[in-house]
Amino acid sequence: MFNVYKELWNRRRMVHTLSLHEMKREYAGTLLGFAWGLVNPLMRIAVFWFVFSIGARAGGPVDGAPFFAWLAVGMVAWFLLNDGFRLSNKSFRSKRSLIKNTPFPIAVLPAVQILYAYYMHLILLVVILLVMAFTLDTFSLYWLQIFYYDFAALMLLLGLGSVTAPLVAISKDFGRFLDTILVFLFWMTPIFWSIDNLGDYAYLIKLNPFHYIVQGYRDSVFFQFGFWEQPIYTLYFWVVVCLLLILGNYLYKRMKPIFLDIL
Amino acid sequence: MSIAVSVEHLTKKYKLYEDKWGPIKEVVSKKKLHKEFLALKDFSLDFPKGEAIGVLGKNGSGKSTLLKIITGIADPTAGKVTVNGSLVFLDVSSGIDAELTGYENIFMKGILLGYSKDEMMEKVDDIIEFSELGEFIYQPVKNYSAGMKAKLGFAISVNVDPDILIVDEALAVGDSMFRQKCMNKMNGFKEQGKTIIFVSHDPNSVESFCSKAAWIHQGELITYGDSKLVGSIYNDFMAGRRTIEAIKSELQFIHAIEEVSPRMTPEGFSVQLGGYLYGQNGRQESQFELVLRDKRTGEFKSKALIAHEYTGQASLPEDVRKHAGFSVTLSEAEFPGFLKPGTYVVSVRTKEDQGEWTEFPLTSGSFTRFNNKEIEQFNGRFLYKIEVKASQLILSVENHNKVQQQVNKIWFQDSNLYVEGVAFVRGYETEVAEDVSMNLHLVNLDSFEERVYPALITETEEITENPAFNPQGKNYNFSQFNAIIDVSKLEIGQYECKLSYKMLKDPYHEFLILVWASKTKEYPTDTMIMGDREIKIQTGTKYLKLEVKTHGYEEQ
Repeated sequence: MFNVYKELWNRRRMVHTLSLHEMKREYAGTLLGFAWGLVNPLMRIAVFWFVFSIGARAGGPVDGAPFFAWLAVGMVAWFLLNDGFRLSNKSFRSKRSLIKNTPFPIAVLPAVQILYAYYMHLILLVVILLVMAFTLDTFSLYWLQIFYYDFAALMLLLGLGSVTAPLVAISKDFGRFLDTILVFLFWMTPIFWSIDNLGDYAYLIKLNPFHYIVQGYRDSVFFQFGFWEQPIYTLYFWVVVCLLLILGNYLYKRMKPIFLDIL
Repeated sequence: MSIAVSVEHLTKKYKLYEDKWGPIKEVVSKKKLHKEFLALKDFSLDFPKGEAIGVLGKNGSGKSTLLKIITGIADPTAGKVTVNGSLVFLDVSSGIDAELTGYENIFMKGILLGYSKDEMMEKVDDIIEFSELGEFIYQPVKNYSAGMKAKLGFAISVNVDPDILIVDEALAVGDSMFRQKCMNKMNGFKEQGKTIIFVSHDPNSVESFCSKAAWIHQGELITYGDSKLVGSIYNDFMAGRRTIEAIKSELQFIHAIEEVSPRMTPEGFSVQLGGYLYGQNGRQESQFELVLRDKRTGEFKSKALIAHEYTGQASLPEDVRKHAGFSVTLSEAEFPGFLKPGTYVVSVRTKEDQGEWTEFPLTSGSFTRFNNKEIEQFNGRFLYKIEVKASQLILSVENHNKVQQQVNKIWFQDSNLYVEGVAFVRGYETEVAEDVSMNLHLVNLDSFEERVYPALITETEEITENPAFNPQGKNYNFSQFNAIIDVSKLEIGQYECKLSYKMLKDPYHEFLILVWASKTKEYPTDTMIMGDREIKIQTGTKYLKLEVKTHGYEEQ
C-alpha cells in the first residue's frame, strides 16, 4: 500500500543529496548564493507588514501577540507549505529532461523538491526564531513543538505532492489550476487575519489542513498551546494526510506508465 | 551461457490523438478517438553476458524505445524485462545539469545511478582524468562545447564500472582520439566479461565493435546473430537491394556451407559443397535448388539439392537432422560454356506457396576446408578462384592473361555489320595467321543465347610498329580481326559483344573478354534501319553493345 514511500525511505540519502544539489543549482552563478533564500521572504514579510499595519491600519496585536511577529511566524510556515507544494506538484514536469534520459527512481522527485523547500525554510526559520527569542518574552519549551509541526507539514506536503505530481505530469492544465488554488489558499488561510474574525464559520477554514500548520506555529511561539490539547483537530489532520498518502501511492502506480509517455 | 538482459514478448503502444481534447472526450464518450502506434511488437531477445551486442535499425524503428524500456525510462505496454546486474545508460546528455559545474555533475549523476557520495569520491579522480577536461571541470557545464559534454558524460558512465553498459550513438561526438580511447575502454569492458549493448543505425560501427547484432525494423526483430552477417543483410536492405519481405522469407531458412572442396579434373573445374539447410515454421519439406549466378549479367544455372542426413558438428534440432544435410557438386562439365571470366555467387532458391522463387545467398559457416582469408586458385581453361566475402561464397573466373584490344572501325553494309579491330596478348607473338584464332560472340542479355561469328585474321603493323604497345620489339603482325555479323537474323533484344582469343601454339590459352570500343568517332552514331529492324551501336560504357528493336516503336 505504501510501496512508493518505502522506496523513498530506502533512498533517503539520495533524496537528501539531490535536494542539496537542487539548492546549489538554484543559486549557482549568483554572488550572494543562499542569502537570496533569506532576502526574498524577509522582504515579502516586510511588505505585507507595511501594507496591513501602515496602509490598511489593521495591525493591532492578535490575542496579545504583536502583529509583526505574529505575521512573520505565520508567513514562515506558509512559505514552507507554498514552496513545497508548488515545487513538488511540478516536480515530474520540471525534471522532464532528466526523466527522459536517465534511468533512476523517479518516485523520489516530489520528495526531493519538498526537502529542498524545507532546507530553505530552515534557514529562514532559524533567523526569525533567533530574532524573536531576543525581542519577545514568550520563549518557552513550547517552541520545540515547531519540530512536530514541521514534521506534520512535511507529511502533508508529501501526501499532496504524491497526489498532484502525477496529475500535473499528465495534464498541464491541472498545473495551472493548482497555481490558482494556491493563490486562493494564500488569502483564505488566516495568515494576515485572525480566524476569530469569522465567528461561527471558523470551522470551515479549519478544514483546510494548511491552517493546522500555520496555527500550530503560532500556538507554539506565542500561546504555549500543545497539539495534544486539540485532539480532534490533530486526528482530523492526520486522517487527511493518511488518505492523501494512500491516494498518492495509488496514483503514482497508475499514472507512471502514462506520464512517462506523455512528458 | 548466462543472460545479462532478457526481454520477453515486449509490446509498446503509443496512443496518438489528433485533437488535444481527445483523451477527455474519449473518457466521456467511450469511443476510440486515437490511433495506435506500435513501437515494439511482441519483441523477445536475450542479451548474453560478456558480449558486445549491436542493435541496428533505422530511425524510428523502435530501437530507442527498446533501450528506454530496458533502462526503465519507459514502461512496456505488455511483456517482461529482466536485468541481471547494474546498468548504465550512456547517452551524451543524460543526467547532466547545465547549471552545475562538471565536478558537481559527476556527483549528481553518480547519485542518480545509486552510488553514495563516498563511493563517488573514490572514482572522481579517474573520471576527471579520463574526461581530459582539466581545469574546465570546475566550470558550469553550460559553457562546455558539445564534445566536452560528451566526454564528461562518457567519462562518468564508464568509470562507475557498471555490469551492463548501454551506448546510444554517443560516440558520434568527440574527436577521433577520444573515440579511440572510448573504444579501448569498452574493449576492456568486454574482456572483463561485461555486457555492452550498442545501439546504432550504422552497420559498420556495429560490425567492427560487436560480435552479435540484432536488427529491429518497425518494432519487430528481423534477425539476431553474427554481427557481420546481420550487418550485411541490413546494408542490403538500406541500399534498397532487397526488400524487407524478401529478407524475412530468407531468414526462415537456417543454412551454412561447411565444406568446400574445389578440384581440377580433365573435364574442367569442379567444386563440391556440403553443409546444412532447413526451413523453420514447419517448412522442412521444401525443395531447394542450388543456384550459381553470374553477378554481372544475372545469368544462372540451377541444380536440385538432394537432402540427406546431417552428420556435421553444428547443433541442429533433432527433428531436422535427418534431412538438413546437403552435398552437391558444381562442375564445368555439367554446364558447358557457362563458366566464363566473371564473378559468380552461390545461392539457394526455393518455391514459395504462391509459386514464386525465394533466393538467398548461402551463408558460409565454419569451413573445414579453408577459412575466410585463404584463397585457392585453380588452373584450367581459365583461372578459378573460390573465396569468401561478407560471409558469402564467391567463385571468380579470370583469364590467364590480359588481352589488349580495340575496335577500330564499325560499319554497315547491306544487311551486315562489319567490326574491325586489333587484339593481342603481350608476349605472344603472331607471325603467321595460323598462330591465333578469334571469334566474335554476341550474347543476348535476356535469354543469354550466344551466337558465334568467326573472325578473319589479317596482317597489320599497327601493334608491331607502335613502341607504346611493343617496347620489346616483338612481332604481333597478325592481330587484326574482321568479323561480319548478319544483323537481319538477330532477334529483338540487347546484345553484348565478346571476343574469344585462342592461342594455337604454346601455351594454348584461351581468352574471353568483353569487346572494348572507345574510338567513338569511327563508329556509326545513327540508328541503322533495316526492313522492320532498328539497329543501334552502343558504346556508352566503352564496351560494345548492340540494340535491336522493331522499327516504328519507341523504347518504353
